[in-house]
Amino acid sequence: MSVTLALPSKGRLKEQALEVLAKAGLVVALPQDDRTYRARTSIDGADVDVAFLSASEIAGELGQGKIDLGVTGEDLVRETVPHWDTRLRIEARLGFGQADVVVAVPEAWLDVDTMADLDDVAADFRHRHGRRLRIATKYWRLTQQFFSQMHGIQVYRIVESLGATEGAPAAGSADIVVDITTTGSTLRANHLKILADGVILKSQACLVSSLKERPAADAALITAISRRLAAAIA
Amino acid sequence: MTSRNPAIATDILDLFAARGCTPAEVAVLQPADPFLDMAGEDLRRRIFLTESETGETLCLRPEFTIPVCLDHIASQAGTPRRYSYLGEVFRQRREGGNEFFQAGIEDLGDADTARADARSVADAHALLATALPGRTLSVVLGDQGVFEAVLAALGLPRGWRMRLARAFGSAELLEAALADLANPPRANALPAAVASLVAAGDAEALAADIAARMETAGLSAAAGRTPSEIARRLLEKAELRSVRLSREAFDALKAFLAIRVPLSQATATLDGFARSAGLALDGALAAFAARAAAITAEGLDAEAIHYDAAFGRPLDYYTGLVFEIGTADAQRPLAGGGRYDRLLTLLGAKKPIPGVGFSVWLDRVDALREVRP
Repeated sequence: MSVTLALPSKGRLKEQALEVLAKAGLVVALPQDDRTYRARTSIDGADVDVAFLSASEIAGELGQGKIDLGVTGEDLVRETVPHWDTRLRIEARLGFGQADVVVAVPEAWLDVDTMADLDDVAADFRHRHGRRLRIATKYWRLTQQFFSQMHGIQVYRIVESLGATEGAPAAGSADIVVDITTTGSTLRANHLKILADGVILKSQACLVSSLKERPAADAALITAISRRLAAAIA
Repeated sequence: MTSRNPAIATDILDLFAARGCTPAEVAVLQPADPFLDMAGEDLRRRIFLTESETGETLCLRPEFTIPVCLDHIASQAGTPRRYSYLGEVFRQRREGGNEFFQAGIEDLGDADTARADARSVADAHALLATALPGRTLSVVLGDQGVFEAVLAALGLPRGWRMRLARAFGSAELLEAALADLANPPRANALPAAVASLVAAGDAEALAADIAARMETAGLSAAAGRTPSEIARRLLEKAELRSVRLSREAFDALKAFLAIRVPLSQATATLDGFARSAGLALDGALAAFAARAAAITAEGLDAEAIHYDAAFGRPLDYYTGLVFEIGTADAQRPLAGGGRYDRLLTLLGAKKPIPGVGFSVWLDRVDALREVRP
C-alpha cells in the first residue's frame, strides 16, 4: 500500500508547496530530469509517492479518489468537484496562493454596488436588451451557487471563458465577470469594480485529502502528513 | 409508447384522451438555450448537456413545458389547445435515478383563465386520484397576481415591488428583501462630480458623464446597458433611499403573507384583509374569486384545498396561479403547476398566448403505489 501526494507541477505554487513540505520535514527528492513528473518523499520512515500535476487536475483526481493527498487551490476544489465536501477534506490551509473569486462589473455602472443591485439589473435585462445578462467566468459552479442559491438571482447566462476573463465586457462577449484576483489591479486596469458583497470565496492553497476507503496504515500516514504540515505553518 | 412506460401509463393516457388533450411529440434531444434562458443557470448543473458537431449546445429534455410551448409556436397551431405528455425526463439528481417519468397537460390560449386554471388543478387531481386510489390528496395553491396587487396597492415604488415579487415563494429571500426595505443598506460613495449631478436630478448630464466613462473603458454603449439606462436607475435609487416602508405597510404585508386558509374561506379572507388594510385589490381579487368558484364547480372539495398567500414556485415565468398536490405520506409534492402567461412571448410567440399547466412526478407516484395507504 502507498499514499500518493500530488503537487502543482510548475510556477510559484510548486516552489511554495515544496517549501512548506520541507519546513514540515518532508523533503521531496526532485528528479534530475525536468520532464519527469514523479518523485518520492518520506515521513517517519514511510515512503510517499509524489506526482506533479496541474492544480486543476489535482482537484479533479482527488475528487475521483485517484490520488490520496494534494496541494491545490480551494477555488479549484469547490469549482471542479461536485458536492466536494462529501468527497474531500481540507486538511490545512497553507498560507500561500491567496486569491479571491469576485463578482466585478464595469466601473461605469455607477448604480450597481451590491448583489441586490445586480439582481435588479438582471431582472430587467431581457426586457430591455432582448437577452439575459451575461457573466464571463471559468467558475460556472461557484457563480451559479453564489448567484442562484445565495442571492436568488436566476435570470442570467454564463459565458464560459478560458482566459482573459477581465477583457470580456470590453470585447462585448459578456456584461460582467466572475474572476480570480489577488490585488484587484488587473480588474481596475480593465475598468471593472468588485461589488461590496461580491467576494464569492477567499481562496488559498490547501492540503486536501480524498475521503475514500483505505488501509489503516495509509490513513495514519495521511493524518501524520496533515498534522505535520498544519504544525509547520502554524 | 415503449414497454418502459410505468404500469400506470395506460390509465393516464386514457384519462388524457377522455379529457380531450392532443398528445405532444417531444424529442429527447433539445436545444439547451431555452431551458437555461427560462429556468435560469441553476438548471445547468442538473441537466445533461452535450454538443452537436456544429457546436450547438443540446440537452436531454429536463422537462416538457418549454418544448411543448416551442413546438406549439413553431407549428403555428391554433388555440385554445391542450397538449398532454407522458415520458422520461433526464436530470442529475443526488437521490433517485437520473431518468424518470413525468406526465402532464399544458393548456395554451384559453382566454377564460379562471376556467383554465380550475381545469388544470382538476386534471392534476384526477390523474393522481387514478394513480393512487384511496389516498387523500391535499392541494396548496398560491397566486403571484394577488401578491403583486398587494404590493401595488401598498403604494410601493416600482423598484421595491419588483424585488419583492422576485422573492415571492422563497421565505428566506422575502425576509432578506423586507429587511433591506425596512433598513436600506448604505450606498457606496459616488465620485463628487457624479454625486452633485444626482443631487440635481440631471439625467442628461449624468448620462453624458457615464458615456464618457464607458468610452474610456472601451465599452460599447450599444452592446449592453446604455448610459441613459444607468443614469435613470441611479436617480431612481437616490429617490428610493429617501423612502421608508411605513410601519402600517410593513404590518399589512406581514399579515397578508401569513394568510393560510381553506379555499372555501379564501375569497372572504382576502376581502377582509383588503378592507382592514384599506387596500384596493379589485381586479386581482375578482380573478381570485372567479377561479375559486371555478375550482368548486369542477367538483373538487374546497375544504381539502388550501390557499397560502406566501406560496410560490421558484420559477421566473409563473404569473398567476401556482399549485402543488401531495399526500400526507409523501415528503415531496407529487404534482406541481401554474400559470405562465409571459412564457410563450419570451419563447418567441408573435402574440401573447396565455398558458397554464402541470406536471406529475410519476417516480414519486410509483414509490407510493408500492406501499399501502
